[in-house]
Amino acid sequence: MDKRREMASWLDKVLEEFQGVQVRRKGHSRLRVDVDSDALPALLELLQGRAGYVHLSAISCVDWIDDGEFELVYHVWSYETHSLVSAHIRIPREPGVYLSIYDLYKPAAFFERDIYEMFGVYFEGSPRMEKFILTEWDGPPPMRKEFDTKQYVHDTFDWQEYNPDWLQEIREKGGGIVE
Amino acid sequence: MRPENYQAVSQPPSNEYELNIGPNHPGIEGNYALKLKLEGDTVVEARADAGYLHRGFEKLMEGRLWMQNIALVPRICVPDPAHMEVCYSLGVEMLGGLEVPERAQWLRVMQLELSRITAHLFYFGGAAATMGMYSNMFWGVADRDLVLDLFEEFTGGRVYSMYNVPGGVRRDIPAGFLGRLSAVLDYLDSRLEDYDNLFFSNYVVVHRARGTGAMNRQQALEWGVTGPNLRATGLAFDLRRDDSYLVYDQLEFDIPVEEGGDALSRILVRRRELVESIRILRQVAEHLPHIGGPVRCPIPNPLAWNVPRGESYARVESSKGELAYYTVSDGGDRPWRVHVRGPSQMHAVQVLENLSVGSRIEDIAQIMFTLDACPPEVDR
Repeated sequence: MDKRREMASWLDKVLEEFQGVQVRRKGHSRLRVDVDSDALPALLELLQGRAGYVHLSAISCVDWIDDGEFELVYHVWSYETHSLVSAHIRIPREPGVYLSIYDLYKPAAFFERDIYEMFGVYFEGSPRMEKFILTEWDGPPPMRKEFDTKQYVHDTFDWQEYNPDWLQEIREKGGGIVE
Repeated sequence: MRPENYQAVSQPPSNEYELNIGPNHPGIEGNYALKLKLEGDTVVEARADAGYLHRGFEKLMEGRLWMQNIALVPRICVPDPAHMEVCYSLGVEMLGGLEVPERAQWLRVMQLELSRITAHLFYFGGAAATMGMYSNMFWGVADRDLVLDLFEEFTGGRVYSMYNVPGGVRRDIPAGFLGRLSAVLDYLDSRLEDYDNLFFSNYVVVHRARGTGAMNRQQALEWGVTGPNLRATGLAFDLRRDDSYLVYDQLEFDIPVEEGGDALSRILVRRRELVESIRILRQVAEHLPHIGGPVRCPIPNPLAWNVPRGESYARVESSKGELAYYTVSDGGDRPWRVHVRGPSQMHAVQVLENLSVGSRIEDIAQIMFTLDACPPEVDR
């Protein structure tokens, strides 16, 4: 336990010296770090190599359409200090390109491909920037905020009247089970 | 045909071919395909092919009220839905600053562990079926049904409970429920010996599964493996203990590990986890009568509930591994973004592709199932 505390205070010190980093502690095992997008790979390399953050839990993408930005959040976990660091960066929505961290974390390949498919953010150096889930979809990346699911349904499909005999019978009886 | 006229037709070597496994096959709980390249019956390349179960949950959740999403989230993972509800609720509670009453936390633990048992029983049946043993599958499904009866009684739903709400659980357990819970636990305990004889110490299973789809601990950490699959490589790590949530820090349970990292180890870890879940549930049944109070905290009107602006990352140990929800609120009555991180997103894609290469075609279904890959979690 002491070793964990030592590591945590060491990490705080290192992050303070890191350029352009804002650190906020959220609970005993959570750390939120806001960092410039240029500095993120170096930060992750430091966390992985020096502080044992070997597990990439997830990469989340958030579309802040009003700001014209995507927020990318890298959640990394350390099996040594039992703590989670969420590193937040913002990248411009257009052209929506960022660097892959596949060299550091292998699981990044899945998350990067998922974000590429759902948000259209291209990760340079990621091994498989191709379709995975929406293989037959040729519309815009659907998780972007400007894509309106309801509007798409209205535009693409026709409404059909569905009024079969059995339903009419039930309605005439005022609902319930038809005998 | 005269011999001098005979000329061999040149063709590509016939021992190299491609094979699509899936989307429906015995190796998986749902629809999921693998595209294999084979030489003889050895796999030289594997590509996962997902998307058959994509329902766009993350997008749908952005269009619904915070409370309405409780009806959506369990459907993301069919065999283990309780963890989805609880994880989503934990995330919203972090955002809203809600304090869940203690009794509700115990009830959640009860629901989660029962769900873990159903998932593991399902798993044993499926894993046995990939080796051609169907009795175990019928037993697993039949015994799982007894737990589903319990779910039906205290939540109202057999599979998708929708029992949780941000702030607690929907209702308290009915009178006499803990007695019926104990009876089911006694029954499951008594069945373990039968399962051992039929399956876990079966000569065929042990020899078939030993060494199949093996990975070492370093590979597992590199590929992002979590949960029982990681513990099967000898690392005793469990979010319930090591990043504790709810009241797991007040419960006594061991974290089983196996060293092999192969299909057999993955099966045996879950066999031992089942025992630990029963142990946890017995403690819950013992403690619950002494814990009074409400089962949910007061929350604002759910139809006009503006959750404060912010973000949260909630993680739980599901029956398959690390499950996490990244939830973002812009201060509105609907989530701005919900990102679901399921353990199968690693296990069913990269890990499966890596483990398939070099193995024989008859082992593919077994590797898939023993990794406990859950396709709806990948597709969402």
